[in-house]
Amino acid sequence: MISMFEHIIPLFELVVVSYICGALFSLLFRKFGSGKPFFIPTIIGSIFLIVLSLKVIIDGSSLHFELAPDNVFSVNHFLIDGIAAFFLLLIGIVSLSVSIYSLGYIKEYIEDKHVTVFGFFFNTFILSMILLVSSNDVFSFIVFWELMSLTSFFLVIYNHENESNLKAGIIYLIMTNLGTALILASLLLLSSQSGSLSFESFRLSSDSNSAYVKNIVFILAFIGFGTKAGIVPLHVWLPYAHPSAPSNVSALMSAIMIKTAIYGLIRIIYDFSGVGSGVTDNHEFVWWGFLFVTIGAISSVVGVLYSVVEKDIKRALAYSSIENIGIIFIGLGLSIVFLSFDLIYLSAFAMLAAMYHLLNHAIFKSLLFMGAGAIIFRTHTANMEKLGGLVKGMPWTSLFFLVGVLSISGLPFFNGFVSEYLMMLSFLSSYHIPDILIAISVGFASAAFALTLGIVLATFVKIFGISFLSKPRTDIIYRIKEVPHTMLAGMGIVALICIILGLIPFIGITMITHAFNLQLPPNQTLFSFEPILSEFGASNNLSGLSLPIVLMIFVSILVATLGFLYVVGGRTKQRISETWGCGFGYFNERMQYTASSLSQPILHVFRNFYRPSLAIQSILYHSSNSYMKESVKIQISNKNIFEDLMYGPIISSVFKTYERTKKFQTGKINLYLLNVFVIIILLLVYVRLSP
Amino acid sequence: MIYNNILIFLSGTLLIATLVLVIKREFSEWIQAYKYQTIVLSIMTGVIGYITNNWEIYLAAIITFSLKAVIVPKILIKVTEKINYDFKNETTPYISIRLSLVVSTILVALSYFLTQQIQLGEDVIATSFLPVSISLLLIGLLVMIGRRIALNQIVGLLILENGLFLFTLSLTHGISLIIEIGIFIDILVGIVISSILIHRIGYTFDNIDDIHQNRESIEYTEEDD
Amino acid sequence: MMPIETSASVSGVLIGIIQFLVILVLAPLLTGIMRKIKAITQKRTGSSIFQTYFDIHKLMRKDEVVSEEASWIFRFSPWIIFSSTLVVALFIPIFVVYSPFGLGGDIILVIGLFGLSRFFLMLAGLDVSSAFGGIGVSREMMISSLIEPALFLLVFIVAVTYDATNIDTIVSHAAESSVLISASLLFSFFGFFIIVMAETGKIPFDNPATHLELTMVHEAMVLEFSGKSLALIELSQSIKQLLLISLLINFFIPWGISTSFSIAEMFVGLLAFLLKMISLGMLIAYIETKVAKWRLFRIPDLIFLSLASGLMGIIFLFI
Repeated sequence: MISMFEHIIPLFELVVVSYICGALFSLLFRKFGSGKPFFIPTIIGSIFLIVLSLKVIIDGSSLHFELAPDNVFSVNHFLIDGIAAFFLLLIGIVSLSVSIYSLGYIKEYIEDKHVTVFGFFFNTFILSMILLVSSNDVFSFIVFWELMSLTSFFLVIYNHENESNLKAGIIYLIMTNLGTALILASLLLLSSQSGSLSFESFRLSSDSNSAYVKNIVFILAFIGFGTKAGIVPLHVWLPYAHPSAPSNVSALMSAIMIKTAIYGLIRIIYDFSGVGSGVTDNHEFVWWGFLFVTIGAISSVVGVLYSVVEKDIKRALAYSSIENIGIIFIGLGLSIVFLSFDLIYLSAFAMLAAMYHLLNHAIFKSLLFMGAGAIIFRTHTANMEKLGGLVKGMPWTSLFFLVGVLSISGLPFFNGFVSEYLMMLSFLSSYHIPDILIAISVGFASAAFALTLGIVLATFVKIFGISFLSKPRTDIIYRIKEVPHTMLAGMGIVALICIILGLIPFIGITMITHAFNLQLPPNQTLFSFEPILSEFGASNNLSGLSLPIVLMIFVSILVATLGFLYVVGGRTKQRISETWGCGFGYFNERMQYTASSLSQPILHVFRNFYRPSLAIQSILYHSSNSYMKESVKIQISNKNIFEDLMYGPIISSVFKTYERTKKFQTGKINLYLLNVFVIIILLLVYVRLSP
Repeated sequence: MIYNNILIFLSGTLLIATLVLVIKREFSEWIQAYKYQTIVLSIMTGVIGYITNNWEIYLAAIITFSLKAVIVPKILIKVTEKINYDFKNETTPYISIRLSLVVSTILVALSYFLTQQIQLGEDVIATSFLPVSISLLLIGLLVMIGRRIALNQIVGLLILENGLFLFTLSLTHGISLIIEIGIFIDILVGIVISSILIHRIGYTFDNIDDIHQNRESIEYTEEDD
Repeated sequence: MMPIETSASVSGVLIGIIQFLVILVLAPLLTGIMRKIKAITQKRTGSSIFQTYFDIHKLMRKDEVVSEEASWIFRFSPWIIFSSTLVVALFIPIFVVYSPFGLGGDIILVIGLFGLSRFFLMLAGLDVSSAFGGIGVSREMMISSLIEPALFLLVFIVAVTYDATNIDTIVSHAAESSVLISASLLFSFFGFFIIVMAETGKIPFDNPATHLELTMVHEAMVLEFSGKSLALIELSQSIKQLLLISLLINFFIPWGISTSFSIAEMFVGLLAFLLKMISLGMLIAYIETKVAKWRLFRIPDLIFLSLASGLMGIIFLFI
């Protein structure tokens, strides 16, 4: 019956066609610069995509597609299984809301730019991600991977008038190409073992590969995909590229593009390496999980530490993406570690936590980037020091942004809390690990994880508090208006999903367990989820977390307090007046705490990490009197230890090598011929000598 | 079994006392915390004496208490009375206090990991106290490395010495009393000599910092802690 | 023994309500007692132990002044702070190993709800655009973000030792266990005590008695509140203090707590709880008198002490 339905409505083809339409329309209808022709096909396509992926997840059966007839590579097959469908669902939801949002947001660029180019790349970008996730062979995987990288590169440098954006684009291009090379090497190594380019053959031959090959494949894939995911120390491109792109593109990149790297890693580890298949000895892979946890913990702490001192909203959000990817890596790593000790339920549970966090991050990070876009749309700046007081002019944007902030901070009733809860329970289960050293390391990693959560709260208090609350720091904000309805609708959709996933975790949990075919103990009820602290069976202690009921109690207490206060205290008046501030009086906007001063204590505590340097410049009225200062300028600048200590030496050594090779480039033909001559002689000798 | 639990609890208490020692910055606070640590140590010594039923160890416990928890702190306080406060207060340690706290937990994990290999058999005291004593040794060294001020390095030495004492005691269950008393007197003499030295240096140079502070270029001069 | 089986019964509901009321009623009293003890140790007479009730009652009847810069977040945050603190109160057993909403009560949820109230408190501090709000928020940001890892590690130890994350189950397991169940609990207790001192704004960390910008952390954030809002904030602050102290008591020194619904046992449980609470309050007040307020940038050292204690507890947990 399912297949019948499939034949009646060719959903996958429809999805592809709508995105292609979106891309073509934007080239064809250059006259209609309003943006509607580009994004409406995208919206339709994303709805189809959501339906398609939900269908696959609910049915639990994978779908095969053939787009083109058999060609020379005989590889043009597409496969959508549960894992792919889960990622497709993410792409669908995010691209739906982002394209609705873009209908309004594109007006930012309509006056002085070719929005048609934007529409073309935007649609191609999403389409390449969809096809990448559903591709079933090395050839199409790499082609769409490169297409995704290239289109996103062009979107990053869309604002190419700005020199720094071009630089960001170049850094991004270099890093992503390095990553692609490694991924290609890893996949080709697999195909050399199986003798075919098709993923199907990888699955079949997964158990026969030697552990040596598997380890090499893993290392290559880990670095390659890790570059795209933005793990520390391969993250350098991310904080440049994400803020440079237009905000809707940043939302797409941060919410789903970096997740495709996680998709690739899951495919390689769980699908092509036979981890957990029962045939191979899982214990060999414990160091994979350990690497994941370590890198994840480092990424999350480093990401959030950079995020908290950042003044630019979009850069702060970009760093926060690094942190969230780190958390997802921790979850995946715990899953692998548990699996290698044959703790199957715990492994499934940790996987669930990681994937729930992935889902959440896609949702709330797109919301936050769209909110940042809304700020830029009205104020044309992302610098927090110039914002403030937006909550009065933009009430809806601020409400949606607040939902995003509450979610990402992991506070109850919002989705971030659920995944962090699941992550914490996975950490608590680590005491089942028989290896003491690994168990203790996981315990230390849990401290890093919790530190991350603590600083995330501070980060987003700062971002929301400085940009939306208090007095406006520039005059333009006094006259600010709310953004167009389409933008609000785009943000509203994801904000709603944040609340739904936060209040009824059951939905997300069921979806993920279906998609990934996870074996969780069956004692789940509709509104509560009973996690396993100890192994299923023996002493299954319950800790039912029924968030809707907690919320009901919360609200009823709120109402009861309201009533109680009016009964006891009677009616009292409220008077609006100046800010008191201990009676000092006369406050202006420059006397408020700024973004950098707000995070200064944290900067001070971790100053060995930031390595801040302070430059004080004072201009005196008269050189004889050093106490009478006309003005004082203080500048705190932080060293970026990764760029200065790691990439700096590498880049400078590369340049040194170039300098040396310059000597051969004299311009004399004779010398070049000599080079060729020497090489030929050497080759001939080598051929003769080799057996 | 119950002994085992009590011993592990005692080693936990000793480690907490050591942690409290590590976060101190000011010399008199150091001495105070060192006193607490030594009191815990002498209780541990007493417990070892009770388990092994050896009166010499009881005596060692009493000597430990009276010498290291009473006399040594008194001497140290007395000699350093007149030294300028700036030279007793650790403001810019080489290894920050927070880092040294985290590193000392790693050292504890390390010493438990290292001693796992050693076959100690049924010896309850050795199995529970040996790792703690090694971690005390390591933490003492860490403190000596990390601190800039010479006075505070003496306390690092004292932690190290406490670790050494526990180490020998847990492995041998009390060497001959004569030797132990000899060691105690050795410590006393060491403390007296070093305090005389501190005293003299303090008067002569009015600065007992082991390295010239002005050679350090401090990048972030806003506020040191 | 799982106390959950009795949760549906009428007496269970009644006991739950009584415990909830006990928290509400005792919280300001605890604040009063601690102030009184502190006053006595400082050789002052001090105000009556019921002064907090009078203050809150007075504040409830006062008119409110709201800053013109303030948005709806400032107006709503006292309510959110108070409600989330009271929801936590529903999860924490006091003198019977049973809390009214124990089934849904989870130690991680409790941390989350405290986080929610702290979040809105910080936003409210920033909302009024006074520099005092900013100073408090920036300090709270530092302290709270460092407390989080320490607290999680300490909870980790407790949860793994007693094999549960549900608070009722933890407490009932703790009440049945012997004193020396695990040495890591010792570290956890030590660390938790530091955290309680930090979270309730006691002296090495914060000094709520003064309104001096050098020492202000919590007070700076609530500076602009008045009238009913301030009453709610003050009340939730003292409830939070009682809740943290009762968590400390019931996790680490639970002996005497009633494990059944018999009147006599519950009476003993209540008495034991009051005794433990007052003696802990005395200990805290003693420390407050003995220790000077630490410099702001030395406070992280203390929190790291708690963190290191948690890490050592983890090591002891696994060996």
